[in-house]
Amino acid sequence: GINAEYGVSQDCLWFLQLSFSHSLPSSKSANMSIMSYNGSAVLAMTGKNCIAIASDTRFGIQHQTLAANFPKVFQMSDKIFLGLTGLFTDIQTFHEKLVFRLNLYKLREERDMKPSVFASLVSTLLYEKRFGPYFVEPIIAGLEGPENKPYICSTDLIGAPLLTSDFVVGGTADEALLGMCESLYKPDMDPETLLRPFLNVYLHRLTGTHFPVGEQLSI
Amino acid sequence: VSTQSTGYKVGFWATCCNSLHILSPFTVMARRYDSRTTIFSPEGRLHQVEYAMEAISHAGAAIGILTNEGIVLAAEKMITSKLLEQGTSSEKMYKLDNHVACAVAGITADANILINYARLATQRFLFSYQFPMPVEQLVQQVCDLKQGYTQYGGQRPFGVSFLYAGWDKHDGFQLYQSDPSGNYGGWKATAIGKNNSNAQSILKQDFKEDMTLKDAQQLAVKVLSKVMESTTLSSEKLEFGVLTRQNNKTVFRSLTKKELDELIKSTTIENTDAK
Repeated sequence: GINAEYGVSQDCLWFLQLSFSHSLPSSKSANMSIMSYNGSAVLAMTGKNCIAIASDTRFGIQHQTLAANFPKVFQMSDKIFLGLTGLFTDIQTFHEKLVFRLNLYKLREERDMKPSVFASLVSTLLYEKRFGPYFVEPIIAGLEGPENKPYICSTDLIGAPLLTSDFVVGGTADEALLGMCESLYKPDMDPETLLRPFLNVYLHRLTGTHFPVGEQLSI
Repeated sequence: VSTQSTGYKVGFWATCCNSLHILSPFTVMARRYDSRTTIFSPEGRLHQVEYAMEAISHAGAAIGILTNEGIVLAAEKMITSKLLEQGTSSEKMYKLDNHVACAVAGITADANILINYARLATQRFLFSYQFPMPVEQLVQQVCDLKQGYTQYGGQRPFGVSFLYAGWDKHDGFQLYQSDPSGNYGGWKATAIGKNNSNAQSILKQDFKEDMTLKDAQQLAVKVLSKVMESTTLSSEKLEFGVLTRQNNKTVFRSLTKKELDELIKSTTIENTDAK
């Protein structure tokens, strides 16, 4: 039931909201997936000599939104972007682990890691935890080699890579994002035309999903 | 019979006798075997550590100068052959993290092990605490490792001295020197490697508290020219690294051949002017 505690009038509604959410059963229906406990959405697309990657910025716990300034795309180096979906604590830890490895690579090799190499590193690190995985599903996007060929890749939580040439999606809104991408994507769009359907896909997806993931984007 | 096998037996008895303050026919021979790493000599010295420092005094010189604008690390390259593949990698200077770099004097192979260890230490710290490792802590970690080889294990010490140059939020620009014993100190200007005592005395005379980075670079050229064996100073024999702060970020940069040539020219011109 609702545990209604009254504070001073201005804070009353805030108090009520907090108490209400605490008393919700921990799973929405029968069994909630750990991957949708926080909720996130990331999308990456290739264009002509460019890539675009975007994520929502919601930080929430189940139904409750706690912050709207938590982007899930990290720039790992000049030409590599990493988008992480899934459980937030693992997003943070896994990102920090990758920074560790990437920094060591850069110190020893005295050059940046290629996106394809980075994707292999991600895959390996995830499979190391095969029987107790990080609850993240990463998306890697970057420009490969001296000609800056667009590269995108996503993996599942145990490192199985998916290499495509058009777009990859991840997170709790992945199916909705996939649908929009399939209909709106065209190969070889330049940066401006790429952004338009990109935003369309995103904005469209923001309405009518199980876990609305926030009104801001970081691109 | 190898000295190795007899050495062990004699050493064992000698140490027993020494610790029991018993005179034995072996105590005279024991002095020969005090060169074992983890044992004091009767005079209270650690011979292996001293021999390591002797090895370093034959290696290429390296100098560090601290200023308010940044730190200059300058080194003499020992391996200069036309046949050598001159890649981008350096012989004397290495980045340990974005905000710390070091110059090496001594056995390069030993240095590589310690540099790898230092790099792991910086990344472990960054991973755990999510901010860059303070320079002194890094120096302490490396020195603690070096010290272990003077007390445990029976393995020889590392034949390397380092000059660490770094910046952190709490203490700003810092310059440290470490040696095979695991000892370290913070310096305003110091030298390691060949002729380091000469270099140190020149630095003592000419170092001023508020030198600019440019002055420090010229002083480094001057010191190296007096300390290096070859009579002519050329950019092929030198390596210069400069650690500065730009746009709220610490940057460690090696000077290019062109910049080195200009620096050498401007230093010799100023010296002849002074004369």
